[in-house]
This record gives sequence, structure tokens and C-alpha cells, in this order.
Amino acid sequence: MAKVFIYPGTSLILSDLVSRFGHRPLGSALAVRERVQTPGLDSPPLQITPEDPKKGLRYAAVEVPSGVRGRMSLYGPQIEEADAGIIVRDADLAFGCMGCARTNELVRFLLRRREIPLLELDYPHSDEEGIRFVAAIKEFLSGLPGGVPA
Amino acid sequence: MSEAAAAGSAPTHAGVGPGTVAKYVFVDSPELTAADLALRAYEIAPAVQIKETCFGLVIAGAEAEVDRLVAEIRKFDPDRIFVKDRGFPPGDERRCRANLGGARPGFYGHENEMRLVRYVSSGLRALRDPKKADLLRAKPKREEEPLSPERLSAIIEES
Amino acid sequence: MTAPVRIALLGCGAEYSGVMPEIYEAARQVEAEVFYPDVTLADVRSAGKGFGLDVHSADLKLMIARAEALVAGRAEADAVFIATCFRCAEAAIVRNELRRYIHEQSRLPVVSYSFTERTTSGTLLTRMEALVTIARRRALLARERQEGLTMGLDSGSATTKAVIMKDNEVIGTGWRPTTQVQQSADEVIALALEESGIRRSEIEAVGVTGYGRFLLGNAIGADLIQEELTVNSKGAVYLADRQHGFATVIDIGGMDNKAITVQDGIPGVFTMGGICAGASGRFLEMTAKRLGIDITELGPLAMKGMGKNVPMNSYCIVFGTQSLVNALAAGNTPEDVAAAACHSVAEQVYEQQLQEVDIREPVIMVGGTSLISGLVYAMGELLQTEIVVPRYSQYIGAVGSALLASGFVRKE
Repeated sequence: MAKVFIYPGTSLILSDLVSRFGHRPLGSALAVRERVQTPGLDSPPLQITPEDPKKGLRYAAVEVPSGVRGRMSLYGPQIEEADAGIIVRDADLAFGCMGCARTNELVRFLLRRREIPLLELDYPHSDEEGIRFVAAIKEFLSGLPGGVPA
Repeated sequence: MSEAAAAGSAPTHAGVGPGTVAKYVFVDSPELTAADLALRAYEIAPAVQIKETCFGLVIAGAEAEVDRLVAEIRKFDPDRIFVKDRGFPPGDERRCRANLGGARPGFYGHENEMRLVRYVSSGLRALRDPKKADLLRAKPKREEEPLSPERLSAIIEES
Repeated sequence: MTAPVRIALLGCGAEYSGVMPEIYEAARQVEAEVFYPDVTLADVRSAGKGFGLDVHSADLKLMIARAEALVAGRAEADAVFIATCFRCAEAAIVRNELRRYIHEQSRLPVVSYSFTERTTSGTLLTRMEALVTIARRRALLARERQEGLTMGLDSGSATTKAVIMKDNEVIGTGWRPTTQVQQSADEVIALALEESGIRRSEIEAVGVTGYGRFLLGNAIGADLIQEELTVNSKGAVYLADRQHGFATVIDIGGMDNKAITVQDGIPGVFTMGGICAGASGRFLEMTAKRLGIDITELGPLAMKGMGKNVPMNSYCIVFGTQSLVNALAAGNTPEDVAAAACHSVAEQVYEQQLQEVDIREPVIMVGGTSLISGLVYAMGELLQTEIVVPRYSQYIGAVGSALLASGFVRKE
């Protein structure tokens, strides 16, 4: 089983396909869960405290807005941990954790720079595109350690 | 925002504390409603907390139990049931629409992807359909290379 | 119990900066409730088209859709708070355009703020309180005449002021640098009582504003404790006799600056802040000290000088002081240096605050710094308008408080 970073991190479709084909999707939910379940944090709604943007300094300089650095404190460690990644390029309606275009540019950049297996594709908007989309993801995931052969 | 939400109180639901997981189950099927799904899910895993929503279910509990339930649920309609991790336990006040006044941002993201899942369903169905083999072999669309100056002048000369 | 004032939050990045608890806390302190206006995905998808501003960040699209819902009346609110990350250019454009849009297209009071992870509820409190005042106390703010015998106190960061008013006239004033909140207040109250020739027990109602308002107001049992944004704008249009129509109030304070667009005496859009004390009265105080003159002499001195002759940038008080020292070392005249300091502060306020409100004439300058003629001149030059400085402008908060406190005078 490989750890696959999904972009957008909030994607239902990618989260489903990655776990359906036997791997572990890394994205917003896991990062938020970690914070929500940490006792003693008192920073609703996401339990992101002012310390998180400071942790985000590892990924972006201090002149980068706090919202970018706070989001990077969610995704940065996951990008470092990931064995592979899938990027949906036209994910322009992902909100919240993925609602900031500047953060998203940085997330994609850091993923590409890691030189791990990376699949980049667009959302399907027809049955034919859907078939290609699923097939490409399945083929990509099959090639990862612990993947089920296509 | 209620007092409890403002204070960020830890969830008190049984079975959703540290070490547990929550997942969304989305269903996009004309044959299976969220209510049907909830009923059948309860029968499979009584120890898992199950909450029916407008799009399907939120389920929460010990990871192994939740995974077992997910595996069973998927069998109801494998191509049209989609599962995703969730950070918050079901009914958490911090994410509840009733407390926020409006939908949390993630809701719109799910709504957006739910417009597209039918194409993913087609893709999943096609995995079992030998007639779709050609399409399956085809790579996803690549961005087209820009037209080279040589090719452009060739086109001009041809016309 | 009255229903809480509902403040619609249009924001991007607050949840990820760890400042949501601060926003909730500030709202809770003024008995307001923060909520997200509900919209549909279709609203969000069409937001860019309708509003005409294409942005990349989805959360900014959501902000636009929520603003449109408020203006169209699809979502109801009493006030709007716009909050985005400091230093985000994309959000700054949306923040400014939405503030203008909501102000022009609705009656909702709106304030915006750019936060960092260090933003605290204390910083947000005055702004939230002003929103609540405007939403809840329109009747109180409608007052145009002072009645009875009232006292207003302004416990500011630099100075404490008291004013006693009777039958729409100021009859006594007191002024002292702020040392300890209570002690400074006692002193200015004594001064004002002495000048007006009345006893403390004769005063029928008291209003308090400024940084020390809660401490002081509770200690002396004030009838009205209110933030300085609404009090000062009310006081400004009252003293300048511009209670009807539009006006812009500029208050360059000792610690921060306020710029408020007022319509019929009620603030519409306001900003409060300043990157650094370099853009406040504090810098002018330092300049006077460096020139070896009293602050009251700085204005007239500046009027004799040419600011253009001296490069000076008070964006930051440290760099501002450095250019002050350099200018004097380079042999510039005190007159030119004084003029340059005034110009620099005016320029900072122009760049940092006045870009965020729509300037409507007349422009009224109030607060202690409005007595520095060189600063008023520099601001007039920048805005290309004649600035109104009403009598008692240095007592603006105290006058506003005394005026509004007369709403609490019991009629015989």
C-alpha cells in the first residue's frame, strides 16, 4: 500500500479511487482529523492554531500570507510523506483547505519537485473522459508498491 | 455559533474519539437512496455510528469496523457509491450548517464533484467491459504541443 | 434579552491562520453572532461573471457569492465583516471591491480587516463594536443636539480628555497626557468641572470612549460606553455642522488612525489601523522633541517650510526617525524638516487608510493632531480639498460622548 497525495486534497473522487484501488489517500481530511483529535487544542473550527502558520514557515517565507502558511502546515508534511501523487489540474472549485490559489500553486510545485511518481490529469466531463480518467488512475496506482496489477 | 462550538469542545459522541475515523459515503444511484443505505448499513455494523445526510451517510467508529462497513456498502452498487475520509466526527458543531449559518466550504467542493461522479461511474463500469478496451488503453488527454513554425508554414502553403 | 446582532463573515484564510477564535471572541464580547451567508454552488459558479471580478481562489469566489447574496437580500444580516490574509494581493482586491460594493448597494455597515496569525480579539473588538453600534443603535446615533448637562470622557492611548456640555454648548474641558487610566481621568474631570463651575453630582449622564473606556466606564458607572469610531464620527459631523449628507472623518491618533465615511451622521465604511506608529501622531511628537520644540509649535513651523526639500518616509517609525536624523545632519532647516514630517504622516494615512474608504467631501479632521496646521495643510494638498477642522476638534471623542450621553438624560 502506497501513500498517495491527492490534489485537490479535498477530492471525493480521488480519495475514493485511491482507496478503492488499494492505497492510502493523503489529503485534507487526514490532516484535519489529526488536529480535531488532538486533545488540548482550542481553536475551532479546524483546530488550526496561530502556531500552525508558524510551522508553515518551513514551506513558505514569512511574507507569504498566514492563510497560505496555515494551509501548508496541513499539506507540507503529507507531501514529504507521500510515495506518489495525483493532480487534477482543473480543480478550480475546491474550497476551504483548497480554497486558496496561491497555496495550491505551492502544493503542486512541491509535489512535482519531489520527483515521486506523479499523475496529472483533468476532471472528466463526458463518459469517454470518465473511462480514460479511471483507467489512467487505475494503471498509475497499479504500478505503485503494493498496487494490484491492472 | 453556539457556546460549545465557540469553545471548541471535544466531540462527545461514543466511538468517535481519538483513534477513530469518520468517512463520507456518497451515493449517486437512482436505485439506492440515502435512507436505504442507512438502514442496510445499520444491519451490517451496529457498532458504527451512522448518520444519514442529503448525499448519503457519514459513518464513524473504530477504523477496522468502518473499513469493514465500507467494503460491504460498496458491494450494494460498486460503481455508484463513493467513499471519502472526513476530518470531523458526524454532527460536529464546528462544521454544522445550523451553527455556521451557511454551508461549510467543503460542502460546495463535494457538490461540485458530485456533478462529475457519473462519468467516474462510467469509467468504473468500463473496467469490467472488454468492449471499452480501446478507450481504456488510451492515455488521458495531453495538452497539445504548440504549432511549430515549420508546420504552420506548411499549412499555409497547402491551403 | 435582545437578539444578537448578526454579522455576516466574508473571509478567506481566517480558519487557516488560527484567528477564528479571536473573531468569535470579539463578536461574543459585543453580543454579536458571526455567520456565513448561505449560497448555492450555482451562485458561486456565476459569482465571477456577475460581479465582474475573475479570481483564482475558490474561497474568494465564495466571498463574492456571499456578498451578492447579502446585497440581493437572499441572505439577511445586520452588518458585514470582511476579513482576509494580510499581504495577499488577490484577497486585497476582493476585500476592497466588496466593501465598496456592499456600501454602495446596501444599507449594511461594513468593516474590513487584514489579519495575520498574531491578530487578537482585542484588535478586532473596536471594529466589531462599531458594527454592532451602527446596527443596533441607529436611534441613538440619530441624535443631533446635546441636551441637559452631560459629560464626555475620551480615554485615549496618548491623552485623556473630558468635556462638559450643557444645552448644546461646551462649558468645560480638560486635557492631560494619559498615564494611568483612572488617575488621568480624575484629573481631566476635575479640570472640566472647574472650568464649567459645576459640581460632579449635577451631571445627568456620562459617556465614555477610547481605549480605556471599559475600565473607566465601569469604574465611574458611565451611562454610555462606546467605541471611538462611531463616537468620533458623530462628534465630527456635529461640531462641523455637517450632520446631513456625506462627510469623511480623519482622525490621526496617538497609536492608530481612523478614516470614516459618514452618511447622515452614521458611519458607513471605516478603517482603523496603521502599519506602524510611523504613520501616527506619535511620529510628529518625536519630530517635535528632536527639533527641541513643543508639539504645539510644530504645525506653525511646518507651514514655513518646504517638505519637498527633505526626503522622509515614516512608513516605519524606526526608518522615519532615521530619515529625520539624517535630514537634520544634512543641514536641512527645522522648518523644512517639520514640513516633511507632516507630509510623511499625511502620505502614510493617505496610502494606508484613505485608499480603503471612499472620500466624500467635506473632509473633517479631528483629534489632537488636527491642531497641527502643517499636517492639516499636507492632508489638504494630498486630497486636493479644503479640510474642515471644527472648534474643539481635539476633544472629539469627549464631545461625541457628551452628545450621545444626552440620550440617557431623564426628562423631567
